[in-house]
Amino acid sequence: MIVAERKPLNEIVQSLAGRKRVLVLGCGGCVAVCCSGGEKQAELLGEQLKLAAQVACKAASGGEEAARGGTAAPGGKVEITVDCITRQCDREFFANMKHDLKDFDVVLSTACGVGVGYMTALYPEKVILPALNTTFYGANVAPGQWQEFCHGCGDCVLAWTGGVCPIARCSKSLINGACGGTNHGKCEVSKDMDCAWYLIYKRLKELGRLEDLRKMRPARQWSKDRGKGVRRLTHEELMQDTEVQK
Amino acid sequence: MRDGSLTSKQYAELASPADLMQREWAPCRYHCPVHADVRAYIEHAAAGRFGAAIDTIRDNLPFAAICGRICHHPCEANCRREDVDSALAIREVKRFVAELQGAKGSTVRKAAKQDKAKVAIIGAGPAGMAAALDLAKLGYRPTVFEKFPFAGGIPATAIPKYRLPREVIQIDIDWICAHGVELVTGVEIGKDKSIEQLKAEGFSAVLVAAGLAKSRMLPLPGADHPLVRPVLDFLQEISLTEKSAIGQDVLVIGGGNVAVDAARSALRLGAKRVRMMCLEAEAEMPAWEWERTEAREEGIDFINRRGPVEILVKSGKITGVKARKVTRVFDENKRFNPQYDDGDVTTVECDCVVMAIGQMADLGFARGSNVKADARGRVEFSPVTFQTSDPAVFACGEIVTPPGSAVEACASGQRAVKAIDLFLSGRAIRLSDELPPFIGKIAPAVGEKVRQVPRNKVATADAAGRKSSFEPVDFNYVEAAALCEARRCMGCGGGAEVLVDKCAGCLTCLRVCPFGIPKVADVATIDSALCQACGMCAAECPNNAIVSRSKPARDLATRTAAILKDKPGQVIAYICGQHASAEKWKAITEVPEVNEVYVTSTAGISVNDMLSALVNGASSLLVIACHEGADRYPNAVGRIRARVMQAKSLIQEAGLNGERIKLFELA
Repeated sequence: MIVAERKPLNEIVQSLAGRKRVLVLGCGGCVAVCCSGGEKQAELLGEQLKLAAQVACKAASGGEEAARGGTAAPGGKVEITVDCITRQCDREFFANMKHDLKDFDVVLSTACGVGVGYMTALYPEKVILPALNTTFYGANVAPGQWQEFCHGCGDCVLAWTGGVCPIARCSKSLINGACGGTNHGKCEVSKDMDCAWYLIYKRLKELGRLEDLRKMRPARQWSKDRGKGVRRLTHEELMQDTEVQK
Repeated sequence: MRDGSLTSKQYAELASPADLMQREWAPCRYHCPVHADVRAYIEHAAAGRFGAAIDTIRDNLPFAAICGRICHHPCEANCRREDVDSALAIREVKRFVAELQGAKGSTVRKAAKQDKAKVAIIGAGPAGMAAALDLAKLGYRPTVFEKFPFAGGIPATAIPKYRLPREVIQIDIDWICAHGVELVTGVEIGKDKSIEQLKAEGFSAVLVAAGLAKSRMLPLPGADHPLVRPVLDFLQEISLTEKSAIGQDVLVIGGGNVAVDAARSALRLGAKRVRMMCLEAEAEMPAWEWERTEAREEGIDFINRRGPVEILVKSGKITGVKARKVTRVFDENKRFNPQYDDGDVTTVECDCVVMAIGQMADLGFARGSNVKADARGRVEFSPVTFQTSDPAVFACGEIVTPPGSAVEACASGQRAVKAIDLFLSGRAIRLSDELPPFIGKIAPAVGEKVRQVPRNKVATADAAGRKSSFEPVDFNYVEAAALCEARRCMGCGGGAEVLVDKCAGCLTCLRVCPFGIPKVADVATIDSALCQACGMCAAECPNNAIVSRSKPARDLATRTAAILKDKPGQVIAYICGQHASAEKWKAITEVPEVNEVYVTSTAGISVNDMLSALVNGASSLLVIACHEGADRYPNAVGRIRARVMQAKSLIQEAGLNGERIKLFELA
């Protein structure tokens, strides 16, 4: 699952740059599961923006009166509307929006970067802004806690690393064992961080498969990572006679 | 049982979110003969909204005050709380609310126009008055004819005042009459006026609700003695005059509730010894257990399994009753079919006998009409259409149903009105019996997680003191006890429902539920029979995919916005329902004016609710939680702490002082 976290409110307000009609659009997929960008969090962001606008309005009027009815922000009144769709990474779901994009100056998306980017491609006439920082591919390791487990490198090595990913979990993404910075099982980057290669060694030892580490392997294809630009996935059997989507 | 899954589209298309409550009823509502929305009125009472509570009660039950005193409360008998600690004292809460509000404190919802046909009702008892009310609400013009000088029927004429004071009955009668029900007392149909005359006077339909007005008697030797009293005559005389001829050593024959009433009344008239004799063994007696207990406390003895053979009379005075042993009361088919041992006959000493073996219909009303009696001497009647042998004459209540309580008579009257309405609109009379299913028993694994709260006892008068007067034998709750008792309600059937299309299967509900109820396969499912309606999952669900059956989505925010619309800049306090006394927390703050918003528990307050209150103009928000362990839901306090902390940091981020949201945990 893609994990993302909310940007600081200040940064979001700055990015809105005085635009007046704002649609906060939640995503019911991964970001809902990690409790950062579902309908509830989109609503919360909406309420925060309204409060920030009220504070700004109060400050502008000498702190005497709170604005009611509409809300205000630096640069004048703003209208905040909240909506949410099932996923922002599939074209069809945008048809389920309860609002018309025409009515808004800007969309503040609480999806991951995929949603923001895809929506920008779908609606080039609109300004789509991110409300989240997309952080990693992770798992929910305990209530309220998510942790990175995969980097999306395109050339998975977990089969011979005992299920522990050196790309995602080693600070240097080393592929040939621990570096000199390993320290009693911890990484030199932070004493709270396990050394991925220590974990790999321990795991393979438990499995009685240390031999796997001695095997010669071909050079890793980093081109499958970010080396060749935008990556695509094609399932020919599912393709239809339509123009390839952007 | 579930009706299937719910989508957000279906939810949005509901006429009212409360329609979800029709998916399954709480057993209290299902088993109530008039299907009063018990969960809803108890929730109002728990919030101190007593006006809303009485209106909700009266939506279904016109005799709210009467039933508050004397109902046999099948709601309580089926209360799911029984499997946690003990059933909710529903009747006592109703009694408190009904008598606190009185007739004037109950909203009168008159029909916009009352210009439909005139309908005559014979008998102003529970069945007749309930029918008259419903007819008036439908726009008909009902007139109730009552032979006694006051309305109320058996509750007014035969139930002793120590159980049901007359002024309590008057609350219901006044409220019903305010709906445009005409009441004519002192007129006996069949004697002063016939059914045919009523028709000639322009009544398009007649409803017979005359009840069982005569006492059954036994043709025993000696039964014609003046001190062999038919029970209804005896009780009615007491009701009208507070006096009745009685001996010093009274034997009441019969084992039902009326017999107990007669026995306890005899004691209050000054009898030295009062005993009850019946065919049944104690456990078989039809009288309610609590009635028997109270009678025994007052010194009344039971002679069980004896059937009277002869009333012994010597020199014009009763000396006793000869009685034989009963070997069985019911046969293999559980039908009343007593058998006796004639070799075992004893004499029970007494100087007065009250015959309380049952009541029967008095068909005097039918004189000069087309209403016929069947071979058994009962009114010829169709239970399907409620019609008698005259299609324009309908019947309801005990005259055509098995003997029951006031609430059952009300239900019968209400159904008869549906039939009359169809008849007078020229349609075929077809009444539906369909009801939603009801929720089953609480699973032990969930029941043991529900916080135990003992039932609030009703204060009763000391047995020695109470048996010498017709003053009430028990007392109404004080407000604190009524609130406390109402707050024991588990709100069955008002729990969570998952909007399957919005559910991302994130497992948050499963992780926050204090009762371990949600299951997540592809999407979450929440078993309504187990859900305790705490609101924890709905408050946390990141996709707003969980809604409450009993409350509209964003109910708290909407209610708060409504308060603030009139008074912006006010302090709002979300107060946990466990707080019987608002004074307690007021003492710790120096806020002059606070708008109290009651919540069943802080478990259901979301961070969004808190921010919304400020957005909508609250100057600050106080969250008043109870101390750990006191909340009706486990972990509620821990959750609200975390949410308040999050809300504070979010408003601070927006430039507000975090202190505008404050949490108080009160012991």
